[in-house]
Amino acid sequence: MEDAWRVVVLNDPVNLMSYVVMVFKKVLGFDETKARKHMLEVHEQGRSVVWIGHRETAEAHVFTLQQWHLTAVLEPDEKQAR
Amino acid sequence: MKSKRVEVKLSLPVVAPLLDVIRELSCELEKTLAAPQALHDLDQDFRGAWIGELLAGQNSDLRALLSLFDGEFFTEGVVAFDESNAEPIVRACTAFRLQLRERRLKTLSDEALETGDIEMAGLEDQVRKAFMCYLFLATVQELIIQHLDSSIIGS
Repeated sequence: MEDAWRVVVLNDPVNLMSYVVMVFKKVLGFDETKARKHMLEVHEQGRSVVWIGHRETAEAHVFTLQQWHLTAVLEPDEKQAR
Repeated sequence: MKSKRVEVKLSLPVVAPLLDVIRELSCELEKTLAAPQALHDLDQDFRGAWIGELLAGQNSDLRALLSLFDGEFFTEGVVAFDESNAEPIVRACTAFRLQLRERRLKTLSDEALETGDIEMAGLEDQVRKAFMCYLFLATVQELIIQHLDSSIIGS
């Protein structure tokens, strides 16, 4: 089985909440409720796992989120690695 | 169906001086990402291509924002947003705001930047101008997101 990877968005002090919600909707296809939930997680906890799956797709999501100037990183999914 | 277009009349005496700041930022960002990214999991060649593509996109977005302030802006004070420029301009606003915080607004706390609770009269001229630019770009972003999000920024 292929390893799973996480797309993690980290908090930054510049981006507007409305902007982050819009980017999540656009890039990850979230509805308003899900986008707001992840935005608040980023804002309050400093990070949010917004996607888990195959590395190639995870890389594509990270790249697109970075095009929108969000701080996004790729991490191996530890749950699956156990 | 005709696509939605929003025209905004800006105060020329207020906005024109901010364009000098925006042009300076644009030069600074020509070879630098506004939001440096950790790319530890990528091999070196791939990382170079990745950053190169992000930079090319960033520069294209910055040009889209700068092109708003053309002849019509200087004669009528009007800028227009539609589906052809909304996304690049929203991204460019973020790039400029990130750079402003990093290079021009270091003396202000993140909390102050977030709340906007800053005594303008107490700021040095350059910092005040940079902060006004920071607020102006946020306003442009909010305007596009509120009025054009669902109709021209595809979700």
